[in-house]
Amino acid sequence: MSDPLLSVRGLTVDFQMGRGGLFSPPQVLRAVRGVDFDLTPGRTLGLVGESGSGKTTTAMAAIRLTESSGGQVHFDGTDLMTLSQTQMRRYRKHLQVIFQDPYSSLNPRERVGAIVREPLDLMDVGDPAARADRVRDLFALVGLRPDQMALFPHQFSGGQRQRISIARALATNPQLIVCDEPVSALDVAIQAQILNLLRRLQGEFGLSYLFISHDLGVVQFICDDIAVMYLGEIVEYTDRPTLFSKPRHPYTAVLLEAAPSLARRKSRGYKRQGIVTGDPPSPLNLPPGCAFASRCPQAQERCRAEKPLLQDTGAGKVACHFPL
Amino acid sequence: MPLEKTDALMSLRDLKVEFDTRHGRVTALSGISLDVKPGETLGIVGESGCGKSITALAMMGLVPNPPGHVTGGSIHFQGEDITRARARRMRKLRGGEIAMIFQEPMTSLNPVFTVGDQITEAILLHQDVSRTQAEKQVVELLATVGIPEPAKRAQSYPHQLSGGMRQRVMIAMAISCRPKLLIADEPTTALDVTVQAQIFDLMRDIQREFGVAIVLITHDMGAIAEMTDRVAVMYAGRIIEQGTSDQILDNPLHPYTRGLIGCIPVLGREAAGAEALPPLAEIPGIVPPLHLLGEGCAFAERCQLADDHCRAQRPALEIPALQNGGHPVACHHAGITTRAELPA
Amino acid sequence: MAKTDTIPEAVSPLREAWGQFLKNRPAVFGLALLSVIVGLVLYGHFLHDADPYDIVWMPLTPPGDEAGIWFGTDFLGRDMMTGLLKGGGPTLLVGLSAALITVVIGILMGALAGYFGGWVDDLLMRLTEFFQVLPALLFAMVLVTLFSPSLWTVAFAIGIVSWPQTARLTRAEFLRIRELEYVTAARSIGAGNGRIIARVILPNALPPLIVSATLTIGVAILFEAGLSFLGLGDPNTMSWGLMIGQNRNYILDAWWPVTLPGLAIFLTVFAVSLVGDGLNDAFNPKLRSR
Repeated sequence: MSDPLLSVRGLTVDFQMGRGGLFSPPQVLRAVRGVDFDLTPGRTLGLVGESGSGKTTTAMAAIRLTESSGGQVHFDGTDLMTLSQTQMRRYRKHLQVIFQDPYSSLNPRERVGAIVREPLDLMDVGDPAARADRVRDLFALVGLRPDQMALFPHQFSGGQRQRISIARALATNPQLIVCDEPVSALDVAIQAQILNLLRRLQGEFGLSYLFISHDLGVVQFICDDIAVMYLGEIVEYTDRPTLFSKPRHPYTAVLLEAAPSLARRKSRGYKRQGIVTGDPPSPLNLPPGCAFASRCPQAQERCRAEKPLLQDTGAGKVACHFPL
Repeated sequence: MPLEKTDALMSLRDLKVEFDTRHGRVTALSGISLDVKPGETLGIVGESGCGKSITALAMMGLVPNPPGHVTGGSIHFQGEDITRARARRMRKLRGGEIAMIFQEPMTSLNPVFTVGDQITEAILLHQDVSRTQAEKQVVELLATVGIPEPAKRAQSYPHQLSGGMRQRVMIAMAISCRPKLLIADEPTTALDVTVQAQIFDLMRDIQREFGVAIVLITHDMGAIAEMTDRVAVMYAGRIIEQGTSDQILDNPLHPYTRGLIGCIPVLGREAAGAEALPPLAEIPGIVPPLHLLGEGCAFAERCQLADDHCRAQRPALEIPALQNGGHPVACHHAGITTRAELPA
Repeated sequence: MAKTDTIPEAVSPLREAWGQFLKNRPAVFGLALLSVIVGLVLYGHFLHDADPYDIVWMPLTPPGDEAGIWFGTDFLGRDMMTGLLKGGGPTLLVGLSAALITVVIGILMGALAGYFGGWVDDLLMRLTEFFQVLPALLFAMVLVTLFSPSLWTVAFAIGIVSWPQTARLTRAEFLRIRELEYVTAARSIGAGNGRIIARVILPNALPPLIVSATLTIGVAILFEAGLSFLGLGDPNTMSWGLMIGQNRNYILDAWWPVTLPGLAIFLTVFAVSLVGDGLNDAFNPKLRSR
């Protein structure tokens, strides 16, 4: 394996919450609790989890769009956390983002051509004529017609807007693109178009993706490595074939069992096995042991008392006292 | 139009719904015919804008007016045409014999009352019982839908519950009057997968216990497989294919249905060291805007098999003459999968 | 066959709102009325040019009693028509400048507080609250009394007591919009704070601010009238408020010297409000589909 493009160690993010009462101290919500991962150039690392797992916060903190309260992030040998605000702004050329909601991620008052050109303007790439050419090329690349550049975002469908978002992210030739649930707001037919496009672009430009998703089907389609997150921590971290053929963490197994599949038919009397009950514990008040213990079908006394660490098992890493 | 005798609980016949928009009057549903049988689960599947949610609202007599108008056809519920029913009668049916659960349980619950109060009110509205009896029923209902400590939870306000718990409360409210028909409009879209699985399991349990018929509106073929007995596939305000879930999933006849199934990244366990999965099947283009629909098949523009006939004349929903039988489909080339098979 | 392959015309959100505005009959009526009023104020001297302070006839001559003095005279015998035409300019000018002062201070304060949050927000919002709890009329009276009661003092006084509302509105809009993904998207491509405030958030926050600014013009005109009525206007500049203020003692003997400028103020504020409401409806996407 080559050197990682993005290397994250001990990343921690705290959010200040309001005070519980007039005289109690302000509460701190630890949304990301010491996360480590490496993204190899040209590959896609999936961050998977349910709402509240901290997957988006982790990715945004890694590229300094959310402020972190601890940990190191190295990108291509540069320590991102030590860069000044101005240096970081210049550095954004190399790491771009595609957002979840195509309806809110484009400025409604700007023409889409200007939206795609903006990163080039900000990074002083080329002269105005070269930028205009580049925008035309980008439109063609993502499957839009260059003569649509003068239109405004609300004149496009969700899938087309996501293509505009992708064109904007590609504008400065970045090495890394963070994809924050880029297809979860789209209809299935459009979702397939965008997923295929993302894969094609990765092959064409050797891009690396940090791909955030709650949908295991999507993750299996696009990711090479996968980190499963639960309540701000990685509970299982391995390559795709291993994760989908032999999940080690009970939570991963539960996710796989719960994910929709065409093979489970009411007509054949399908009944779900090993269903979890209840909701995750409050992140403001975590139990001392494993965070999943309260919902885990395999939980034992040790799980409730002692916190399992993420350990290498030979085939990937898992944070469980009794891996499957 | 005289209604043929059916054993259906609810029958839609040639239902037409139109909306006034900036582009003039647009037909949102153009002649939908459907039967919901007692105790079964019917799935209505399609992309956003296909008319599946309007169908659900029409079944509840809740098409927003203005801008919507039911301009043709009928909806018979237990023999009674509810498109002609008075408002008072509809209020009696809604929440009584026909109940509905929505996509976003937070916005469908009133934030200033406890969930117990809200279910109590629903019971008092439809049943001739005392408040004390109703409150007792509430605790039983909350237990039925799997809410731990139901007596305590009845005192909670909606914001104190998680999304999954709120959807359970909505289901408790929906089944409080033992409805014969439960309409579920994307009931799990806003929920996490593990919670979605719990809600689906609950809905199946409820159906087994109370024998309620369910209409499940969804865009998710996985939910169709797991939850439904029969399916109607909708596209641009029409039903384009209809059959048992197995027929639709295993032997889809309409190219759109085939595309819809083919474009889902299907979760499957793979052997270690497997190569990357092949690209997904794509349906090119987007759903055409309703005000731009022409004379031909609405899917023709996105269809590989489309020819001049498709573009000129809209295919009717009928059972095609195929060797291995078939189910109703609206396609001139039903059962053909590639251009090569097209007749010259 | 659906025709989706033709490129539609580019429609900016502002132009779309304008199209919506033109469909709103009361709003278009308001705009027409306002245009007539502004036209008369700006070009009225072509119809009838005279010094509004000139005494032309007997005091308190009723309208129509004397040829050429169609609107009567005031308590000093000055022509009401001249006063109405000449007094409109200063009235509108005070209204406009007060609204401008309000909007500039309000947007600046609200934008900084809403965008940066934290101690900046705390500081600016305490300041806003301080100005908001001041009894507005009393404070304006003090200001005008301290400084000479000129047009600009009046406009300044009205602006100073009116900006907190605009600041709160701006702050609320900034708080809402700064959480939207396109703002994060702007940061992700390396945009700085100044650019995000001015080029990304502000244009999207404008619709309610435009509505509020329009309505502020109306409020400012009423405020000016109120100050003049209390005798705190600039006595050397004829304005509708001043006309009411100076003639108020004779209202029982003659209705016209007070009623006519009052009617002018009423029509102006009414027209401005119709336009403001029309803008509000045009910008509000929830009402748009009707």
